[in-house]
Amino acid sequence: MGEVSLGDTAGTAHPTVAPAGTPAVSIDGVTKRFPGPKGGEAVTAVDRLSLDIVDGEFFSLLGPSGCGKTTTLRMIGGFEYPTSGSIRIFGDEVGLLPPNRRPVNTVFQSYALFPHMTVERNIAFGLQMQDVADDEVRRRVAEVIELVQLGGRETRKPRQLSGGQQQRVALARALVNHPKVLLLDEPLGALDLKLRQAMQLELKQLQERVGITFIYVTHDQEEALTMSDRIAVMDEGVMLQVGAPEEIYDRPRTRFVADFIGDTNLMTATVVDGRSVEISDGTVLRVANDRDVGTDVTVAVRPEKLGLRRPDGERDTSLDAVQGRVDRVTFLGNAIAYEVTALAGDPPVRLRVRQGNAPGVEHFAAGEEVRVRWVPPSATVLED
Amino acid sequence: MATTLQPASRDGERPPPAPDEPGLEVDAERAESRRGLLIGLPSLVYLIVFFAVPLAIVFVYSFGARSRTGRTVLGEWTLDSYARLANPLVLEITARSLGYALLTTLICLVVGYPFAYYLATRSARVRGALLVLVMIPFWSNLLVRTYAWRVLLGSDGPFVRALEAMGLPTVQLLFTPFAIVLGLVYGFLPFMILPLYAAIERLDFSLVEAARDLYADGWQAFRKVTWPLSRPGVVAGSILVFIPSFGAYVTPEILGGSRTTMLGSYVVSQFLSARDQPFGAALSMAILAVMLITAIVYFRSGGRNL
Ligand SMILES: Nc1ncnc2c1ncn2[C@@H]1O[C@H](COP(=O)(O)OP(=O)(O)O)[C@@H](O)[C@H]1O
Ligand SMILES: [Mg+2]
Repeated sequence: MGEVSLGDTAGTAHPTVAPAGTPAVSIDGVTKRFPGPKGGEAVTAVDRLSLDIVDGEFFSLLGPSGCGKTTTLRMIGGFEYPTSGSIRIFGDEVGLLPPNRRPVNTVFQSYALFPHMTVERNIAFGLQMQDVADDEVRRRVAEVIELVQLGGRETRKPRQLSGGQQQRVALARALVNHPKVLLLDEPLGALDLKLRQAMQLELKQLQERVGITFIYVTHDQEEALTMSDRIAVMDEGVMLQVGAPEEIYDRPRTRFVADFIGDTNLMTATVVDGRSVEISDGTVLRVANDRDVGTDVTVAVRPEKLGLRRPDGERDTSLDAVQGRVDRVTFLGNAIAYEVTALAGDPPVRLRVRQGNAPGVEHFAAGEEVRVRWVPPSATVLED
Repeated sequence: MATTLQPASRDGERPPPAPDEPGLEVDAERAESRRGLLIGLPSLVYLIVFFAVPLAIVFVYSFGARSRTGRTVLGEWTLDSYARLANPLVLEITARSLGYALLTTLICLVVGYPFAYYLATRSARVRGALLVLVMIPFWSNLLVRTYAWRVLLGSDGPFVRALEAMGLPTVQLLFTPFAIVLGLVYGFLPFMILPLYAAIERLDFSLVEAARDLYADGWQAFRKVTWPLSRPGVVAGSILVFIPSFGAYVTPEILGGSRTTMLGSYVVSQFLSARDQPFGAALSMAILAVMLITAIVYFRSGGRNL
């Protein structure tokens, strides 16, 4: 990226002053229902969503296709209006304001570049609509073209650009307005893997440089984990969990979150007390929980947090462990995946283990007896 | 490149294309165009028989001469008929036809655009129903429908009666420029609506949302995005309305009077009553040239601007 940053001119659209600490976007109990096709049942795209997005953060809405991410973003942008609930941007209720009267800009899913305008005119559009003076427009367009490294392509039409370049134009067209919040709807979805990974990094660096709040919609968990300061995981219109990437990954609250983000082992267990649960082979694991004694719960633990040892080795009492037998070994190059079934229990606990392929790591073969062990905080009790 | 572009007919003589040359593509293109010719053959025959041949006849006639007894003498190759095109009556009739046709086109555009836009933004079901409504008039003959207008606009017709009932002075509607333009708009409006509908329907409405996102109000978004992107439809519709309006015959003949003669009627009168076939033919050729030039200029300026 170029050595420039966006000027310190405040967003041209709405120079309001909000008290420090005001969330950039505050969504409060928002529900969106669409009328069903041909008078059928209404679709609840977003269901009682409440969310505060902090000024300057890179916030991701993550969830499978159809979970209501785009609808949420469109309500912030002003393209859909909530059926109920309120949305505030820097403290101002935006209610039924049309998009052109909101201090946010959008990078659309398919870019939505104006095909009949050059790169330059696409980028200048927002400023011209705000009646910014011509030399100011020229200066800011040049600045942002440098920022997204589109120099030399000013007079091309969008269809003469590659996907990655079009994506940059879409970004520049939004950023040139110095919005307070930038909404991005799967902006990298149309790019191939290599380019997508490069752009992830670039986009994150850009966001840090310009200091604008990004609200980023994606169904790609890896992308969300890589780029975000915080992530909200959604499913069927409901927000399941919000938190930093580590928090979402290490402490998933529900089965859906644990499953959707990364690979995970799920074990059925019975609560012994507030600090431990018992699995089907009788092993007691140290997992903090707030459930009633005797209730059945699901315990989740990530495959890469597990280690394998010979069953006859000395026990490390600071670790939780399950005795089992290796069913299958898969060599993955950078890691080795094992499938292990507990020796006892009905049904026996089954665990997938992923060990990095580093020198000195002991390898096991199918049929061998092993001890699967982990640091207790690696496991977490799910709510469902 | 040069070798692969030679005619394919020299069986097997062509060298195999080098791997990094687009020889295969050229082959495919050629096969494609051969297939295209085969499919196009029936309409080609049709065009030759019903368009090129009559056109050639008119062309030959336009250089013919008139004998003293009023018979047409061909093979003289005189430009007399063309020289007479500049006479004041012809110019007056041409100007009138041009005016009516332009007005008709403009009205069709102003009336048709909002309707086409409405049509294009409805659900598939509503769209289908409305499209049928647009096309229903085609199910009966234009002549019959135009006669219906003659009744409606006549001095005993509902419009004149309604104006009288409102206490307004009696007006003459029939046989006026108003009646002609009304008839032309009525007849050709679907030709404006359909291409406009096709263009607007193709439009990506997320572009309009992008414009709104970039601080354009509804009107600005229309002017900067919707309108320029629907231009191909505007151009096509305007040509489809302007050309038949300019040469209209049936409508001005039935709804117009002696002081509203348009080119179509004038040409017919040259052939039928004045028996001046060379002049009629020359007029036809001139009209054809004007339309051709209009179409070319129009397409060049707007049709391929996307
Ligand atoms: N304009 C609309 N009319 C009817 N249903 C809609 C509309 N937009 C979205 N939906 C429905 O709302 C749900 C959420 O859609 P969306 O927000 O696009 O999901 P996502 O972006 O997470 O894939 C889906 O079931 C979708 O079919
Ligand atoms: Mg979406």
